[in-house]
Amino acid sequence: MSNTRFWIIVAPLLFLTFLVLPGPGFCQESANCLLCHSAMKGRIKTASNALVELNINADKFGASKHGSLSCTDCHMRFSDNPHASPGSDVPQSVLALSLNISPKFKVDPVAGAACITCHEKTYKMVLGSVHGKNIVEEHQSDGALCLDCHGSPHYITSVKDDSSPIGRKHQIETCGKCHGDTRIIEKYKLEENVMESFGESFHGRKLSLGHTRAPVCASCHSSHDIRSKNDPDSPIFGKNKLVTCGKCHKGANEKFVPAISHKRPGPIPHYGEKLLIILTIGVFAFIVIHVLIEAFSDIRDAIFRKKEEEE
Amino acid sequence: MSETTTVTQEVPEEIERFNIIFRIQHVLMFTTFLLLSFTGWGLKFAHEPHGISSIWIRIWGGAETAGLIHRIAGVGMLLDFIWHVLYLGYLFATKQMTINTKTTVIPLPKDVVDVVKNFMYFLGLSREKPRFARFSYAHKFDYWAVFWGMFIIGFSGYALAFPMQVSYIIPQFATGWIWELLWLMHSDEALLAIVFIIFWHFYNEHLKPEVFPMSWIWITGKISTKQLKHHHPMEYEHLFPDAAKKNRKH
Repeated sequence: MSNTRFWIIVAPLLFLTFLVLPGPGFCQESANCLLCHSAMKGRIKTASNALVELNINADKFGASKHGSLSCTDCHMRFSDNPHASPGSDVPQSVLALSLNISPKFKVDPVAGAACITCHEKTYKMVLGSVHGKNIVEEHQSDGALCLDCHGSPHYITSVKDDSSPIGRKHQIETCGKCHGDTRIIEKYKLEENVMESFGESFHGRKLSLGHTRAPVCASCHSSHDIRSKNDPDSPIFGKNKLVTCGKCHKGANEKFVPAISHKRPGPIPHYGEKLLIILTIGVFAFIVIHVLIEAFSDIRDAIFRKKEEEE
Repeated sequence: MSETTTVTQEVPEEIERFNIIFRIQHVLMFTTFLLLSFTGWGLKFAHEPHGISSIWIRIWGGAETAGLIHRIAGVGMLLDFIWHVLYLGYLFATKQMTINTKTTVIPLPKDVVDVVKNFMYFLGLSREKPRFARFSYAHKFDYWAVFWGMFIIGFSGYALAFPMQVSYIIPQFATGWIWELLWLMHSDEALLAIVFIIFWHFYNEHLKPEVFPMSWIWITGKISTKQLKHHHPMEYEHLFPDAAKKNRKH
């Protein structure tokens, strides 16, 4: 059998074999859960009055960063037959954390705390941040924790991916879900003009035009260890700005760093702009009127006063 | 004696209105102006209409390249302006240019009178057109608008393009608001400049029936004496007093 002929027969067979193989390698246990949960649609209400999304998109899950994990890696309380007896043994550290963050996670706080088993350093950073303290110390349910920024844990993609809610493309809207929400702004007394002022700034304009080095929120404010603007450790507190701005603007000095802030323009730029607008409208009105009546007189001259011109 | 004066007073077919250096300065001015307008527009209206501006900026090579074009063109325009001012200084120093009410571009009280007279003529209230010197009020407006733009847009643009260098000369009390003001000045006055060019300069030098599709002076630098007499009677009389007198007699 010639080599070519061999491949003509074998290649389609190999191809078909690949099609039959389960795509991303789910572990056996995940495959068991997905058997139902990839087909189920809709939400159900739990005893604690929370809505649970039943559907897991198996393809999206398989392609996500967590696609190779088994369901019980995070949903630790669930044993092989989860619906009969939730209550497997959960490590003490995770269990303690899950109690602390339970206002955020009405459905499965253990799964919400389980992130710490792999992302220990990051999770601890978040718990010490202004976002984390709001949950574990103030026990608020509308504050931000992992999933509020990163989206569903089942479909987490790389930060470089355009679909990532914390990537360059969507980070501004993700932060804006809270920082542009008047109810949240009033409740937590947040700076109220951040979304608008960012959009109008050079940074925001360049970002929306596709500048590859334009900053997003986290570029200046940091992410997991985010702090209040009044916290001396915040990267945007006082002199820390020199370092933060200096990451992109080499040699940033104290006279340069006030160039960008989220504050509304002060009276001088505000009235300065009003003055410029009056000037612009004034000049515009003069030239438009001048041009229009000049054109009118040119036409008049061409039609009615031809003779006088020739004299 | 009288014979020789008539020989020197012979009126040529055309005269040079702008020498080659002024023409080059003008070409540099409008090429940099167009580049700055096209790239700057995309940044000023980055959000509206949504998505269009990013396509427009992509035509200019993306945000980084468009920014680079804008900076290079901006520096080029400022250098062109400085060249122009130095050249004027040189012309005055060597007495090639002197200040004369009939040839100067400096605004004079007569210009205000001319505006009123011209409006009266446009509206049919007067049959007499104002008699312009070398530069009419329209030309002077055009010329000084560039100076205004250079100081307001040029210097604010320089500060925005090289903020670190400029920050050292900014007084401490102004740091809180100066950047915002510079940006507003730059973008609002740039819009005024674009509107001004589209309506004023384009109408006067391109769309007006007598010059359409354009006045060729920017290339040739020359104006026919016939046109000179018609549009700039005071300059014509200043240049050719004898011919002008003769004309009046006839």
